[in-house]
Amino acid sequence: MCRAGSGGSVDDVIEVRELTKRYGRTVAVDGLSFQVRPGTVTGFLGPNGAGKSTTMRVLLGLDAPSSGEALVNGGPYTALRRPLHEVGALLDAGAVHGGRRAFDHLGWLARSNGIGTKRVVEVLEQVGLAGVARKRVGGFSLGMRQRLGIAAALLGDPGVLMFDEPVNGLDPDGVRWIRGLMRALAAEGRTVLVSSHLMSEMELTADRLVVIGQGRLIADTSVRELTDRFARGVLVRSPRPEELVGVLAAAGGTVEAAPGGALSVAGLDVAEIGDRAAAHGIPLYEVTPRSASLEEAYMQLTAGSTEFGAVAS
Amino acid sequence: MAAEWRKLRSVRSTFAVLGVVAAFALLCVAWSLYAAHYWDGLSQARRATFRSAPPEQPLSIALPVCAVLLGALPTTSEYASGMIRTSLAATPRHPILFSAKAAVPGIAMFVAALASLAVGVLAGKAAADGRPIRAFDAPFLDHVPYLLAMAVTTAALTLMTAGLAAVLRSTAGTITTGMAVLFVVPPVANLLPDPWSERVWSVLPSGLADQMARPPGASSARDGLPPAASALLLAAYVVVALGVGARVFARRDA
Repeated sequence: MCRAGSGGSVDDVIEVRELTKRYGRTVAVDGLSFQVRPGTVTGFLGPNGAGKSTTMRVLLGLDAPSSGEALVNGGPYTALRRPLHEVGALLDAGAVHGGRRAFDHLGWLARSNGIGTKRVVEVLEQVGLAGVARKRVGGFSLGMRQRLGIAAALLGDPGVLMFDEPVNGLDPDGVRWIRGLMRALAAEGRTVLVSSHLMSEMELTADRLVVIGQGRLIADTSVRELTDRFARGVLVRSPRPEELVGVLAAAGGTVEAAPGGALSVAGLDVAEIGDRAAAHGIPLYEVTPRSASLEEAYMQLTAGSTEFGAVAS
Repeated sequence: MAAEWRKLRSVRSTFAVLGVVAAFALLCVAWSLYAAHYWDGLSQARRATFRSAPPEQPLSIALPVCAVLLGALPTTSEYASGMIRTSLAATPRHPILFSAKAAVPGIAMFVAALASLAVGVLAGKAAADGRPIRAFDAPFLDHVPYLLAMAVTTAALTLMTAGLAAVLRSTAGTITTGMAVLFVVPPVANLLPDPWSERVWSVLPSGLADQMARPPGASSARDGLPPAASALLLAAYVVVALGVGARVFARRDA
């Protein structure tokens, strides 16, 4: 990997400016703008039909924008002469010819961008498919196809990588592997954009998040900022809860009963709660700040943006 | 071009199509042996009037079919699997990718047609072994114009199908349309009253090779277009099909 220690290049940037994409009367992406910087893993989140895959397709020049721009390294993807050297993408792991061998699949991709056979062997080893390189792709599991798609994305040693649902079909070892791979790629200074529905996975993998709903930007933030924004106060346990409620309410806190006899306090932080309780001689058994999980934050953020939802029974 | 060639030679369907061409070349050999054997059983009087189909006749049926298949599959199979998006991500300049998708199978079919036709004619001459069978006994060089016309027509059909495939994006639709043009429209045209029967037949792609060059010892010649006009018409079909295909390929979302 040529980028190790480089700290990234200012050119390795994904930039979407006021992008709108319509299919007939359906607006898939609606005035979307965001930027993805090198050296980070950026999660691309949104409910089904939010426009994530459409945005990625426009970025790769597969679909033409109705208006606005989607740029990679400062220009449109379609202007790149040998794009695999600059951008690697995994859109659909199933989009391969089942009758072709894995080695041949990567072989034609390499040939199309002037990449040597040696590199094909390298990426097959990197994704753990060296042993099945001569097998036909039709016999591969979904997880193996995902690995093959990731190998194709890595083929040109690009500075920008886009993965659409990369952990689909991977077993736990595979999930851990792709998590480590994405972190390593970002640490080498590459720009990594990953769309996923798995919030727990994004919480472990992503540094920043771009959240969209119904084609529009909902949030462009760090994981920490997002979970903090939806923090749910402080959980407090005390043997004298009635007294504590009065003290904290007088200090400006909002106190609600929580399961198990605990109190949920909003509007005061841990230190303020501890100080007030100590000043009144009220013992505390537990004071725990309750940050929202990414999934909870995401659900609150995208509430009302889901296009498809089941009716509660 | 190199990447498309790698794709073409790394799937079994290509070898199946080329295998059919090879099988029909062997059928030419069998046909020639049968014609020679049949000739030996004829009286002198019958030999004087005997007319046989040329040795390469079986290939004149197989080559157009194989041309349609090989012209369609490199494009339509990628639309079916979604791999067209991988191809375009690797080669985002649509005209370049489309050109390669048409040219590579076109060249492959031209070479396969020329080689198999040459095998057919040479097998016919070997089987005739000096017997004065019309259509078999002409010098090989006399066959060359017709062989070239057949090979060029086969390549042209491949290119036309590639253009059609980019428009229809469907394997079934493209192959059905191609087969209808080759095998349904000509008999229907024959049902038309004269002179329209001849006029329509003469402009159909399936009849252009015979109008560009006649095989030696051909039994009869239909009225039709002059050779140069036939060649120009074939070229026009190719240009139109590729032009429309390229435009649709570039403008439509993948």
